[in-house]
Amino acid sequence: MYCVRCGVRLQEGVKACPLCGTPVWCPEAGERGPAATYSDRYPVYSRQKRLTVMASLTVALLAAMVACFSIALNTTGQMGWSFYVIAGTTAFYLAFLLPLWFRRPHPMIFVPVAFLSLCLLLFLLCAYTGGRWFWTFAFPLTGLLAILTIGAVALYRYVKRGTIFITGGLLIAIGGGCLLAELFQHLTFQTPMFSWSLYAAAVFLLFGGFLILAGIVRPLREHLERKFFI
Amino acid sequence: MAREHSKVWMPLDNAALIFPAIRRKNWNNVFRESVTLTEDVDPQLLQRAVDQLMPRFPSFYLRLRRGVFWYYLEEVTAPPRVQEDYAYPLTFMTGKEMGRCCLRVLYYRNRIAVEFFHVLSDGGGAMVYLKTLTARYLSLRYGIDIPATDGVLDVQEPPAAEELEDSFQRYAAEHPIFCPETEAYRLPGKRELGRFNRLVTGVIPGDALPALAHRYGCTVTVLLAAVMAQCVLAIQAEQVPRKRQKPVKITIPVDLRRLFPSRTLRNFVLTVNPGVDPRLGTYTLQELCDAFTHQLAAEVTPQRMAGRIAQNVEPQRNKLLKAVPVFLKTPVMRAVYDRRGERLGCLNVSNLGVQKLPAAMAPYVERMEFIIGVQYSYPNNCSLITANGVTLVNMIRSTESPELERRFFSRLVELGVPVAIETNA
Repeated sequence: MYCVRCGVRLQEGVKACPLCGTPVWCPEAGERGPAATYSDRYPVYSRQKRLTVMASLTVALLAAMVACFSIALNTTGQMGWSFYVIAGTTAFYLAFLLPLWFRRPHPMIFVPVAFLSLCLLLFLLCAYTGGRWFWTFAFPLTGLLAILTIGAVALYRYVKRGTIFITGGLLIAIGGGCLLAELFQHLTFQTPMFSWSLYAAAVFLLFGGFLILAGIVRPLREHLERKFFI
Repeated sequence: MAREHSKVWMPLDNAALIFPAIRRKNWNNVFRESVTLTEDVDPQLLQRAVDQLMPRFPSFYLRLRRGVFWYYLEEVTAPPRVQEDYAYPLTFMTGKEMGRCCLRVLYYRNRIAVEFFHVLSDGGGAMVYLKTLTARYLSLRYGIDIPATDGVLDVQEPPAAEELEDSFQRYAAEHPIFCPETEAYRLPGKRELGRFNRLVTGVIPGDALPALAHRYGCTVTVLLAAVMAQCVLAIQAEQVPRKRQKPVKITIPVDLRRLFPSRTLRNFVLTVNPGVDPRLGTYTLQELCDAFTHQLAAEVTPQRMAGRIAQNVEPQRNKLLKAVPVFLKTPVMRAVYDRRGERLGCLNVSNLGVQKLPAAMAPYVERMEFIIGVQYSYPNNCSLITANGVTLVNMIRSTESPELERRFFSRLVELGVPVAIETNA
């Protein structure tokens, strides 16, 4: 039997060419399929070890939180310091350990989850201590960091070309973020404006601008590649 | 090398240093060689043959261990158990499995297959092991006496020191040469779920490819590399605008035993990447064959290869680098490999050549196979071997579409080569 499109000889009994998918018409072949060249034994890869480690870690953290809560309740009669331990551990778990349960944790899901848990932790801490810094400082700053990080992850993950431009643009955005961070600091804590952020922004702008320039000027980029190749 | 009551151990050879560092949780560098016999395999006799070869091949019965500064190989506690073959070749060899033994012996119906983690040996060294294993098995099965010729070793003899040496250290030149190379085009393709490898085998009469290669004035390896390059060029032309096209280069492993008088059974191979730039124009098959022939002739000389070996062994000999712990070396080696190792070629065309068998053994052997796994970032690879008058061209892929295979085998048919196709799924 030959494939009429590819011209290759096929195994007896195949229904279609494995290369181009063209159906094979061979009335005398009958219903019998091709002889198997490999067995039907598939390897078994165990997720058991990872799952066992994760389950043990989860139980250990839960036990630690319960122990802290009991000690605080017995010694001071209220939640007290154990609140910080419980809130901090929960946020850490959501941000860093939860993705490890999954075989391929998707960064576009777990990076926002990490920032949400950080935001929630800061809100609870602010509310618990009676502070007034969450809405004007912690929330916008966390949001800014989240936008920059998620943007960076998405660009590096989905845009296959122009890494040098993406890196340059991100450095400039981080520089702008420094200015905004000091603005939030100024609005919340009445600190002087532009005491540190201008220097940081200038450095990031210089590095980012240089990378973009290197991306545009090909000889410079090639020279840098040769120079800094490890 | 070994004291009594202590296990034999050996450092990795220069080429093997990279393989433990670059393995991932779903990929590592494993290749397979197999022999198809005329009758079904008896697993118990095969196990006896595997056990009997252990003293003769101490560099194969090893497991991978992690030291403070380097990975190393240590003698296994017991020879590997032969097992039934899997549903597809080169199933993922886990770290746990490598911790027991870096090779697997498999059987299915009338086929004996051995899968090697590349730290042990290259295709040439592994072929000596497979031939000797097959000879031993046939001797046990049929009571025949197979002489130690044509790549079969005498099991009664002790292993020679030259068989266990790291030949890279011996044949390195005094001055290293650095060859900067451009990045090659990366073949596209949607990856298969899981770790499944699809294999398409082209069965070709042994004299068809040499006759065609003779017409084009080149070797079989160059001819197949040129046909492959033509197919990759066509795929790139359809998918990428000409201005953004990249060079199409084929990675060809070179068995250094042909250039240097080495008898080592460990790794002794380097790769070269002949190629063409599609932005400069179009190429006929004859032009591709000529270009590849000349590029290989210029590169594959003992002097240049010795210079390249020197470049590779230099970091290994560096005292400062030696003192860096392995957990720090590993990510750096992986980064260098990702940056340089896999970006210089589109895919491998690895030819193990014509394998001769002792006359007493040949009637029991139908054919031999050689399969290399896919690279971490390449979705396709090609390997071939000729034995008993049959050439088997194996194209393996980790992607769903057989586009490259279709173009490659159809092109061979167009060129007048009769190709019969077999697949594993």
